[in-house]
Amino acid sequence: MNLALEAHSLGKRYKRNWALRDCSLQVPAGRVAALVGPNGAGKSTLLNLAVGLLRPTEGTLHVLGRRPDGDRDLLDRVGFVAQDTPLYPDFTVSELITMGARLNRRWDTPLARDRMEQIGIPLDRRVEGLSGGQRAQVALTLALAKRPELLLLDEPVASLDPLARREFMQVLMGSVADGDTTVLLSSHLLGDLERVCDYLIVLQTAHVQLLGGVDELVNEHKALTGPRRQRADIAGVAAVIRESHTDKQTTLLVRTNGPILDPAWTVHDVTLEDLVLAYLAYPAPGRAVLGVAK
Amino acid sequence: MMWLAWRQHRKQALFAAVGLAALAALVIPTGISMRNAFTDSGLAACLRGLGTTEFLRGDGCDSLSDMFSGRYETLATLSMLFVFLPLLVGLFWGAPLVARELEHGTHRLVWTQGVSRMHWAGVKLGLVLAVTVVAAGGYALMVSWWLGPLNQAGQSRMAELSFDVQGIAPVAYTLFAVALGVFAGTVWRRVMPAMAAALVGFLALRLVVLVQLRGNFLPAHERTFPVIGQERPNPTLGDWTFSTGIKNAAGEVMSTGEQIQCGPAVAGRPDAICAPYGPGAYNFELYQPAGNYWPLQFIEAGLFTAVAAVLLFLAVRQIRSRIA
Repeated sequence: MNLALEAHSLGKRYKRNWALRDCSLQVPAGRVAALVGPNGAGKSTLLNLAVGLLRPTEGTLHVLGRRPDGDRDLLDRVGFVAQDTPLYPDFTVSELITMGARLNRRWDTPLARDRMEQIGIPLDRRVEGLSGGQRAQVALTLALAKRPELLLLDEPVASLDPLARREFMQVLMGSVADGDTTVLLSSHLLGDLERVCDYLIVLQTAHVQLLGGVDELVNEHKALTGPRRQRADIAGVAAVIRESHTDKQTTLLVRTNGPILDPAWTVHDVTLEDLVLAYLAYPAPGRAVLGVAK
Repeated sequence: MMWLAWRQHRKQALFAAVGLAALAALVIPTGISMRNAFTDSGLAACLRGLGTTEFLRGDGCDSLSDMFSGRYETLATLSMLFVFLPLLVGLFWGAPLVARELEHGTHRLVWTQGVSRMHWAGVKLGLVLAVTVVAAGGYALMVSWWLGPLNQAGQSRMAELSFDVQGIAPVAYTLFAVALGVFAGTVWRRVMPAMAAALVGFLALRLVVLVQLRGNFLPAHERTFPVIGQERPNPTLGDWTFSTGIKNAAGEVMSTGEQIQCGPAVAGRPDAICAPYGPGAYNFELYQPAGNYWPLQFIEAGLFTAVAAVLLFLAVRQIRSRIA
């Protein structure tokens, strides 16, 4: 399997707090991976480590087969949209494109200009005169014009209104539809990413909680309902993620490792959202539950 | 990268150019008229006549030079304000250089393009330092030329504040101010705190060197002349006198901060101001001779340039490994 990003026991500490700890994960090349977790879970830290803005405190990290340490050979191949999409406020859009052309060996000026024209952002407009949605689009364009092999986006839609969010995600998906670019984008809301991602990483309090292809994860998790009972070993269940009880009924969200044939249980499919919420509420943070990465 | 650095800092370069042009517009016409007055009044010829005689009898060129200095006193005072120019450059060029990027988060944009941080820092710092040296050099040259006649007329270029706006020292101060601003920006990571830190740090080191160190860089000389007599030191030698007083014949200090001289005709009278000091008393003064001007300039400039180099090294280290 060709990996765009691979971390082993990766950790980053700021003074006394670990922003990320014991993080092991892989993102296969060509995937659109969603990095989901609440605020402060370590999403930005992971992305900043991946682009070389931060150095790991412990563990190893490989991006496109190299250690990110700010060297330009790797930076040329990675596109990055930082949180809050920072841009120089006194630059015009056209100047930002020129800047990209001057700073990158691999740069597609026509692509950048055409995209701005399609979206309807005037090239001579200063950044300070753009709306939040337009700024995000400009930042995305600057990252895409590098024709990156890996595109990292840190909460790209967090500050946008719902309409701008949808537009942004549409533009993003249209741009990476060819499958040559691996995308890793973070959000504290799964809803933003659910329709576009095919790979999922759930981070919670500095640890990886769940990792794997979306289809595999959804297939391998099931909701079971049955008469109320104490938990017992159920054939085909590898782990119980969440359980809830009413007077008569017990509901379990489980990870399976085989078919569930026990007639006492009714088996339902789960949605990705159910899955993520269950893992975010996982009672014992600290142990990574790794799905199957195929 | 050069394009980006120029695009980001062209306004500051423009300000520098405008500032230097304004300075030239002030300095060149007044400087020329000052030089003309210096020659036409006969002061230049008078001072040439005195040469470097250490002691004078009689008036010397005092009345001419008093007249000249009085006429240009305002300008001379104005020139002391130039002592703050290096600080302004440090506050407005140095402090925001990195701090503004960090405050706006744009370092995450520029450091993830296809240039390394070191390259980025090298070009930005290189450009700002080059413009700084050119601008500060231009300012120092103009002010040195401008103050020339006033220096000769008795306002020593060695004296506090006068020394600080001439020669090569202002260039070193400016480099120091910029380096301090850049370094403070990498530590505090916001523009206003970086400016405040640069302001305090700059004034602190400048004051300590000015008050505590400069007089001791080279051994001071002592000059004496009798309380009763008619020979007094030539005031236009350009020495930097930093301590004066009167000692009695046994060498004990009788008073400090004053110099007294009585002609032999009045010396014997009991009400004469010289009477309390007794026979054999003499005035003394501790001074740096005018010839130490350039050695002191090089020492001071070297000191501030060295501090600037250390600060820049620390700033680059911050940029390379401490900041994300």
